[in-house]
Amino acid sequence: MLTAAGRRGRALVTLVVAALVLWGTFLGEDDDFPFGPFKMYAGREDPDGLVLSTRVEAVDSGGRLRVVDETSTGLRRAEIEGQAQRLRASPELLGLLAAAHAALRPDEPPLVEVRVVERTYRLRDSRPTGEQSEIVLVSWRAP
Amino acid sequence: MTAEAAAEPAPVRQRAAASALRPRVQPGRWLFSPVPLARIAVLRVVVYLFVPVDVLLTTTWVRAHAQVPGELYAPLRLGRVLPLPTPGPWVEALQVVLVAAALVAALAAARSRLTRVTGWLVAVLYLEWMVVAMSYGKVDHDRFAFLVALFVLPSVGCAALRSRERTEAAGWALSMIALAVVATYTLAAVAKIRYGGWGWVDGSTLTWAVLRRNTPLSEPLLDMPAVLHAAQYALVLMELAIAPLLLVRWREPRITWGLAGFFLGFHLMTFSMVTIIFLPHCIALLSLLPLEKLVPSAAPP
Repeated sequence: MLTAAGRRGRALVTLVVAALVLWGTFLGEDDDFPFGPFKMYAGREDPDGLVLSTRVEAVDSGGRLRVVDETSTGLRRAEIEGQAQRLRASPELLGLLAAAHAALRPDEPPLVEVRVVERTYRLRDSRPTGEQSEIVLVSWRAP
Repeated sequence: MTAEAAAEPAPVRQRAAASALRPRVQPGRWLFSPVPLARIAVLRVVVYLFVPVDVLLTTTWVRAHAQVPGELYAPLRLGRVLPLPTPGPWVEALQVVLVAAALVAALAAARSRLTRVTGWLVAVLYLEWMVVAMSYGKVDHDRFAFLVALFVLPSVGCAALRSRERTEAAGWALSMIALAVVATYTLAAVAKIRYGGWGWVDGSTLTWAVLRRNTPLSEPLLDMPAVLHAAQYALVLMELAIAPLLLVRWREPRITWGLAGFFLGFHLMTFSMVTIIFLPHCIALLSLLPLEKLVPSAAPP
């Protein structure tokens, strides 16, 4: 059986963890990990709105266009989206992805152009209308 | 109801019913209700053996952050306050150390030796691994309960696989994991209301999810918006109403098997639809099951 002190200490830990996770849920942000809000899929998407989907593509030194997956630059799609504003403000950061690719995949031809492409799907009554468009959000070309 | 119970005068029955309910409404008794040490021992082995699986196989992108230039590192509050170093090639060494520490902790758990020091070492190293994982613009929400498990399991101290003893320390550790599992669901519903508003259930979030990450199983659902719409109601209902049942009922094996099976099935279905699986969370969910029965001689007397 636990001593009185053992019980008090554990009860206190329980209260502190509960308080932190409740605070994080109502007032915190992702920055407060591991006590931030559990907000995966928490955003509401408009049934008559647009769905945005981002991908990273690149051109290698052989001129081939390739879709860059998360294991070949070290950044996941959601991480690129999370940092999209920074990347748009400083496109040279995309060059760092090319450097990361060179380190992670030394056997593959180097990337000479990297771009973040956003595809937009239009919804009507929660159903894709088939209407799609793509824009290049930001791009970088090797000097 | 037995004949004796039926013959009892009503006030006695009411008192009996009230005392049967009492453990559920007394937080202290609930929090420290003893559970078998053998369950802690089995759970430790499972949790510590899962760490290498997670680190080497199922979330390989964390290690890839070692090669991402430091300019793209956007440290979490935890990484700024402590302050933790910017990830670089040392992350590859951290991976090796973490895997080795987890294997040692699993062995220590199986032999019921040095369980505190090896367990907390894994907890701290894994937390740092998580800071490396989540500091690049995207934070995942699938590991809260697993992190809680890593931090509370060492607090139980020695727990032999073949022990028949039940202790309050073990009870507290399992109660904490149960609370964390349930919080992951219930507070996710709260987050939906916070970010998506009360109209979240009538939005198109699942359509959005399937458009972005579809599988052959989920793609046909894009033409059936009513199904995805209903699924949003079901999801919130599950998070708000069904998940808390785990707290009330997890000490009753039949109900726990049903509930844990239901939630594990839910995560498998999610994986088949949008290729997202809350694997560390699923491991924490296992703690609600009578794992001690996996060790033959540890069955309760």
